[in-house]
Amino acid sequence: MFVKWNYLTPPKFIGFDNFTRVITDETFWLVLGNTFNFMLYFIPISLLGSILLGMAFNRLKYFKTFVVLSFLIANISSGVSYSIVFQKLLSESGPLNRFLYQVFGFTIPWFTRPQLAILAIALMVSWKFLGYYGLIFLAGLGAIPKSLYEAAKLDGAGKFKQFTKITLPLLNPSMVMVLVMQITMSFGIFTEPYMITGGGPMKRTYMFMMYIYDNAFRKFTSTGPGYAAVISIFAAAISFGCIFLVRKLIEKEVNFV
Amino acid sequence: MMNKTRKKIGVALFEIIMLILALVWLYPYIWLTLSSVKPQNEIYANLWPSQFTLDNFKFIFDTTNQMERDFFRSLMNSVIISVTVTFSVVLTSSFVGYAIAKFKFLGGTILKNFTIFQMLFPGFMFTIPTFVVIKSLGMLNTLASLIVPSLFGAWGVFMFTQSFRNIPNDYIEAARMEGAGEIRIIFSIMLPLTRSTASIVGLFTFIGIWDNFLTPLILIRDYDKMPLSVLLASFNHEYANQLGPVLAGSVIQTLPMVILFLVFRKYFLQGISISFK
Repeated sequence: MFVKWNYLTPPKFIGFDNFTRVITDETFWLVLGNTFNFMLYFIPISLLGSILLGMAFNRLKYFKTFVVLSFLIANISSGVSYSIVFQKLLSESGPLNRFLYQVFGFTIPWFTRPQLAILAIALMVSWKFLGYYGLIFLAGLGAIPKSLYEAAKLDGAGKFKQFTKITLPLLNPSMVMVLVMQITMSFGIFTEPYMITGGGPMKRTYMFMMYIYDNAFRKFTSTGPGYAAVISIFAAAISFGCIFLVRKLIEKEVNFV
Repeated sequence: MMNKTRKKIGVALFEIIMLILALVWLYPYIWLTLSSVKPQNEIYANLWPSQFTLDNFKFIFDTTNQMERDFFRSLMNSVIISVTVTFSVVLTSSFVGYAIAKFKFLGGTILKNFTIFQMLFPGFMFTIPTFVVIKSLGMLNTLASLIVPSLFGAWGVFMFTQSFRNIPNDYIEAARMEGAGEIRIIFSIMLPLTRSTASIVGLFTFIGIWDNFLTPLILIRDYDKMPLSVLLASFNHEYANQLGPVLAGSVIQTLPMVILFLVFRKYFLQGISISFK
């Protein structure tokens, strides 16, 4: 942490130099911005999606097992191979763009525009995790007593009011949990951008893990493990900060009485 | 009357929409599987192949070893690594979990708190320390470097401790009276009673190791020692025009996980709902 070291010569103690270097490192700030940019797409999409999915799971009667399993099977897909699959599916001549071109006459250049590339990765990761998060919300919904809804119905509350006044507040613990997982996931994401975009276009999908990897291990970009370790500590601290913020702002004590 | 039929249609519509959505979710899998068994030039053409062929798989197993990327070998590497680690994690976690759950000893609470404490840190903080340790042990570029650091896991210990705690002490007392040793107690009483925990720990460990990409990417340099995930990635980078074989490789990489998931789906669902509490 406090050393300058390139694995070959013995480490040299340099005190806090690595820390001050992070603050003035432009790439570090770019990567931090990219991570927030990614979260800006990923968190709302997958949070909203999984709440709706959890409610849908809850209401399904006949095909419940099949539907739940189809969504979960996405969750256990292997990181490398699903990255490859989505890279092909979304590519310029891939099935999705061909379909769009035939039906609507345009294509979406997913991996050449920065914002689209980030959105594409956010969508892929959502594909993978929506079922898992949905199941968390399903468990949360199961804990809400039915009597509350009956009482609300007697008081003349409509479906929408029931949702905003009963369901959402009582799902608070599940919501905090999903948010924490999403934040941790966003800071640790590696396989998908590494495999698909390699950090591009214009370094806008360059994420923390890739930056750490490049700094620590890649031949030409390596600045030694000391600096990379400091970056990983900064990343961990910021993700803990975000989690702390979420808990402070959103978490509430829930009583089911 | 009208209201009731309308409601029924609503329910049916909802079920159908969800069914379609589930199929949309499965689409990447369907596309991947079908693409791996069709001739290469048809992959972007139609979903349904005009003829089924196993050429892509044949290529993967017969031709890639001449390109210095032996898929069969790396598949074997993956199997060796994942099976060893899974077996060891279930064994060590159940032993340590038994000790923490059922014995009072000096430092027991500290050990327990330490295992939980270790789980708090995001995994990416450990990549560089792992590399430095492995390097100073002189184990870089060996299969052992992928196995040894994972032989023991905090999460498994935690899971076993939780579920062993629910087993009444009377069982253990009775077994001891009959003259059973502690190891025997673990194997013939504790593990059979917590079969679902053991399956969950085993399943998640296996999937985690099988799917691990970053660690082998850092630690392994030779193609003949790579697990499947890294070999597949490097193959995709350098032979991107060999679309069919790349997708066939992806199928091979995904298949064991999907099969295990389908076999153990009951435990998988339990595992998810346990880890919420």
